Amino acid sequence: MRLAPSIPNHSPPISETNKPEKVCIEVHKLSLQLSGKPILHDVSFTIPSLGITSLIGPSGAGKSSLLRCLNRLYDDWKGNISMNNTPIKKWHGGADVLRQFVGLIAQKPSVFPVSIAENVTFGLPRQQRQQNQDELIQSCLKQAALWNEVKDRLHTPANTLSLGQQQRLCLARALALKPAILLLDEPTSSLDPLSKELIECSITKLAISMPIICVTHDLDQAARLQGQVVFMCDGKVIETGESHAFFTQPKRIETREFLRWSVCECAED
Amino acid sequence: MRNKIFILLVLSGCFIASLSSLAPIWFLWDTSWPFWSSYGISSLWGTEWYPFESLFGLLPAIVGSIWVLIIAMGVAIPCGLAAAIVSSEILPASWQNLLRVSMEVLAGIPSVVYGLIGLWVLLPWLQQHLGLLTGHSLLAAGLILSLMILPTIMVMALDALRLVPAEQREAAINLGLDWEQRLYRVLLPQAWPGIRTGMLLGLGRALGETMAVMLVVGSMDRLPQPIYNILEPAQTLTSRIGREMGEASFGSMHFSALLACGLVLALFASLLSLLAHRKSKQAHP
Repeated sequence: MRLAPSIPNHSPPISETNKPEKVCIEVHKLSLQLSGKPILHDVSFTIPSLGITSLIGPSGAGKSSLLRCLNRLYDDWKGNISMNNTPIKKWHGGADVLRQFVGLIAQKPSVFPVSIAENVTFGLPRQQRQQNQDELIQSCLKQAALWNEVKDRLHTPANTLSLGQQQRLCLARALALKPAILLLDEPTSSLDPLSKELIECSITKLAISMPIICVTHDLDQAARLQGQVVFMCDGKVIETGESHAFFTQPKRIETREFLRWSVCECAED
Repeated sequence: MRNKIFILLVLSGCFIASLSSLAPIWFLWDTSWPFWSSYGISSLWGTEWYPFESLFGLLPAIVGSIWVLIIAMGVAIPCGLAAAIVSSEILPASWQNLLRVSMEVLAGIPSVVYGLIGLWVLLPWLQQHLGLLTGHSLLAAGLILSLMILPTIMVMALDALRLVPAEQREAAINLGLDWEQRLYRVLLPQAWPGIRTGMLLGLGRALGETMAVMLVVGSMDRLPQPIYNILEPAQTLTSRIGREMGEASFGSMHFSALLACGLVLALFASLLSLLAHRKSKQAHP
């Protein structure tokens, strides 16, 4: 039997003033089909303007697909996704501009075959890349908890870094674009415990100033990250709630089963 | 004991392979020695080639080869790369395969067929549209060659582009890079080693192609007037060897001069390969 995860208190507490009030992202009746197969079905929820939202659920629940809809990697969906009251399909400047507003970190780190410093500034426009970006590089690497490990070798190839360091470099690279929202697709699933802890720590600090949506299979991680939890199964949202209440007093039977057994059998509506 | 035999076999194989890469150069050097010893290096810039008057200037054929190579590569590289990019990044998989198969069929057509296509289609077209006397010209040879090397460049570039990991493409998309930036900053730099190999193979074929070039180049042993006039009939090193080797008696100075043309061609190809390799090492140390 799987017990509900314990909730350690290493994340900074969300103060009353930081409490999410302003709705930043709104997903309304989102449906997605890929190659004729339904992936998401009438998904609706809201993401607070600050803090972490963990997307949990069994494999194939549609969590990663949902993230890909949010930055329009998947663009052929029905329903509505709004960010700051602007439908993302009508985003000024199109999908490329939206993707700079919404940073996405993939499950498997993918650094470009250039130096560490060049990787950080890779997404910047050419004019900015040609200027001295030392401060930006330092600040982003510090935010990603990588600066101390690479400060003496910024001009060495990025692929000489370990997998955990590469993932943090990907985080720094996304942060260099100053995104307003961060999407993380199982960012620590293939990493060692130390790298996992460093990334969780960075995410927690970043969540003070921006909304972060994190897909994870690790229920302990979802509990550690606190914030809001969205539980998905078979392309539907089953339950959402504040982390502590979600793990200690789940409302739906499917949620309780998932927290106990890591399985989910959705009741047909 | 078995290990020793195995190591000996591997070392012998390595020795034979190294030797075989130098053997053609040595053979050409040895057989063309009578020519070099009689006419010296100055024959490289001699402009007259009349074997019956013992005049063996190599410059017109060298200039012809260079022009044909420039035209062929100048047409085939951009077209092949563009076709590979469109095929890899835009076309659906079924069209991609169709294009690839058609390119592979094109690569398998014997060179003499390309020569005949040049004779029957390209020369009359050039004659009519550019007002040439017969259509035989460096331009015609270059264009036919470009058609011949296009499949090699396109298929190699396509394979190289397809080998760029999907994660890299997605990482670039996630950073908000548009299609053009993804192409110039992620896809082409990472596919470059494969593209370069395709270009070198194409270059090798373009330099060494004889039959098709011989049929359309005009085989005129003189320098183009002016030197950049690619609309004149001319001669290349390969077409000269192909056309005259049957007439030259074995062991004669003419025979030796033709082998000297072969040596110049081989050294030229090796030099270009080395330069490309050096450039590539500078770009990707």
